[in-house]
Amino acid sequence: MYSTLLRTLLKEVNTVSMSKKTQEELDRWSKEVKRGAVTLAILALLSKRKAYGYEAVKLLDAKMSFLALEQGTVYPLLRRLEQRELLRSEWDYEDPTKPKKYYAVTDEGSMALSEMSKAWTNLSREIQAVLTEVE
Amino acid sequence: MSSNDPTKLIEQYLERVRVYLPLDSEDAIVELQTHLIEEAQRIGGGTMTAGSAMMAIERMGDPKRVANEYAGSGKKVGPVPAEYVNPVSRIIILLLGVGAAFTIGLSLIGVTITQLFGADIQNWPFSIPLMIFLNLFILFVIIGGLSLLDRDKPLTEKTTLESIFGIGVDGFKAKGRWDAAGDFIMGVFWGVVISIPSIVILYTDAFKALYIYVVIFLFLGAIRGALFYFGGENNFNLAVEAFLSVVWIALAVILIDVGWPIRYVYNFNGSTWALFDLEGFFLSNDIPFVPFDWIWIFIMFVTVVISVWRIFASSMKISMYLRAGKRLWWQGNWGERRRLRAPLWRRFLGEHDQFQQKDTVYHDGYREPEEEQ
Repeated sequence: MYSTLLRTLLKEVNTVSMSKKTQEELDRWSKEVKRGAVTLAILALLSKRKAYGYEAVKLLDAKMSFLALEQGTVYPLLRRLEQRELLRSEWDYEDPTKPKKYYAVTDEGSMALSEMSKAWTNLSREIQAVLTEVE
Repeated sequence: MSSNDPTKLIEQYLERVRVYLPLDSEDAIVELQTHLIEEAQRIGGGTMTAGSAMMAIERMGDPKRVANEYAGSGKKVGPVPAEYVNPVSRIIILLLGVGAAFTIGLSLIGVTITQLFGADIQNWPFSIPLMIFLNLFILFVIIGGLSLLDRDKPLTEKTTLESIFGIGVDGFKAKGRWDAAGDFIMGVFWGVVISIPSIVILYTDAFKALYIYVVIFLFLGAIRGALFYFGGENNFNLAVEAFLSVVWIALAVILIDVGWPIRYVYNFNGSTWALFDLEGFFLSNDIPFVPFDWIWIFIMFVTVVISVWRIFASSMKISMYLRAGKRLWWQGNWGERRRLRAPLWRRFLGEHDQFQQKDTVYHDGYREPEEEQ
């Protein structure tokens, strides 16, 4: 009876440690996928309408639950995309207590977005095909 | 002590972020400030409270990390962690600049660095590595101790270390607009005053031969003040400042040998104003005139130290702006920081911080509902 209990307990411990490892792998993989996806997501959102930093953060939050980015990381990304001339920005001081820096996609950004979208669609289709085969 | 004023909490937090950002990052601060206000208002259901501000700040995260990610400067340099690269390099540059300024100032008045404390430093310059090592050791002990004391402070409260790093931020702050106006007014005022004939007759013969160069310099200083007043800090104005500082050091080298420049003072003898020979009075009464020369040397020393610092800071900022892709002239800023709270005098007149009453309106017209607390 004791050996059965011990075996069950060991199995439980094993299951917990496996799921923790799986979780870690999922976290690592998610981070890698998000890194590329967030650039595409921001370019796509801003290609439809210009938005200021906080707006962009909230839009990403609302539309892309998978990305679930930390708030502080969106601003550096916007800044980097601006430095790479994929985005342009202008300040709006209409409300002097809350000046807003609006971001919009440049022509260069639109072209990059178009190519990135094609690549993403291809990738998704191929991944889906592989996954279907495995299933 | 943490405040209950939400605007103060946000300002304190942004002050901490500023310490870790490179110079000229005011745009980043304003962007983060808007984010924190809007997030705090959203959390507070349209009104910003101390609690909602604190939550917004906590969601934003540790100032070191936020600044480091924002600036994209995050590369570890030697033993210095990425987050500290900006403040540490800034404070090192500040110390080097101040050190250079004092060394040049001292050598101008004939004191060598090895004699600074009344006696020659032994084994100079081989004592330098040992001194550096000892100072670094003391520095690490102090930093370690301060970090231990600061570990329980809230996110909005500056650590002692950040207060020290903050000196680096203030040391390179752009010239304020009123300081620039002061430079202009004082330049014109003193330029006119020291060239008035009834003042010129007070000078020693040696200074009389040179005072016109000082007048020209003062007027050029006034022009520099006007340039900063209208254009703020930009490469052209910084170059003018550096150039004038070089000119002043060259002038100071000559002026220091001239000695105390005023020989006579006006004396009212009951009916008229007459000239009184100050130097003659001291010498005829066997009183040494040397203290006046010391005062003159001290004035020259201080002005040369300031000039060397200006050359140092201007050169550093010009190279920083050039790296950022800026050219010679643009409408620069005046070192002002955007304050969330109305100034004390406005609050005294009954003006409140308006944004606390405002709804958040998004670009697409969506308005955050305002709810009563």
